[in-house]
Amino acid sequence: MQAQSTIESNRFPPGDLAIWVFILAELAAFGAFFGAYAFTRMRNVEMFNQYQATLDSDAALINTFALITSSYFVVRAVAAIREDDSRGCVRWLLAAMGMGVLFLVVKGHEYAHHIEEGIRLSTNTFYMFYLSLTFFHFMHVIMGMVILAAVVVKANRGGYSDREHTGVETGASYWHMVDLVWLILFPLVYIMR
Amino acid sequence: MTRRTTLGIRACTWVWLFMMGLTLTTYLIGQFTLGGLGVSLTVLAFALIKGQMVGDYFMGLKRVRGFWRWPVSLWLFLPGGLIGAAFALVG
Repeated sequence: MQAQSTIESNRFPPGDLAIWVFILAELAAFGAFFGAYAFTRMRNVEMFNQYQATLDSDAALINTFALITSSYFVVRAVAAIREDDSRGCVRWLLAAMGMGVLFLVVKGHEYAHHIEEGIRLSTNTFYMFYLSLTFFHFMHVIMGMVILAAVVVKANRGGYSDREHTGVETGASYWHMVDLVWLILFPLVYIMR
Repeated sequence: MTRRTTLGIRACTWVWLFMMGLTLTTYLIGQFTLGGLGVSLTVLAFALIKGQMVGDYFMGLKRVRGFWRWPVSLWLFLPGGLIGAAFALVG
């Protein structure tokens, strides 16, 4: 029985399979967005380079550190629950959510600055891509926070154990996807010229 | 904590630190306003390496066999290839 369980866990990714179908759909959408950005840039290289230089790369660095670190904290949460440590799981998830809040605050500050400067989706093609891509991702961070919060509530009630923790792995997989997308978005929009 | 869990956490801790280092390097490249195809492709390669590490270690796909081992790698390859091609065509 144990061997069968091990083989099964190796054939499928951690968490509910449905979230993986959802993750692949999300990745496909972001992938198409990235491709559209790169090929639109081909026809507007100077404009993209000029306006990319106006972005706050310090904020982007902080946000990249925040998401990578939150993903690591989620890894620790999954490891804790696999050891039947619900309290540890909750603590690591709350730490991950703290990093998520940091991301939202920093990104929100960036948006507020853009709004003050009168930058809109219609300002130019670069800002259209920048604002829509990052805001699409921003919404995914919020969605991930909601999922992690739901997992925290259940974990806090002792709803997961070393034997049954699919929910923790499902939330973790979604959160890692949010991190994964940002890892491409950061250099593409802020650095590559 | 079991030995397997400890080893897994240790590997993920190194991966986390390595990704933080690659991120800082990417940022510094941006700070020095370095441009050009070689630099852009290097930065893109850093991002793809980090993405693969998230898939392998954080998502746990390194231990998965069969179909589900590959979607994240394929996703990195396709948009990564498109982005690289678009930058290479501009020169």
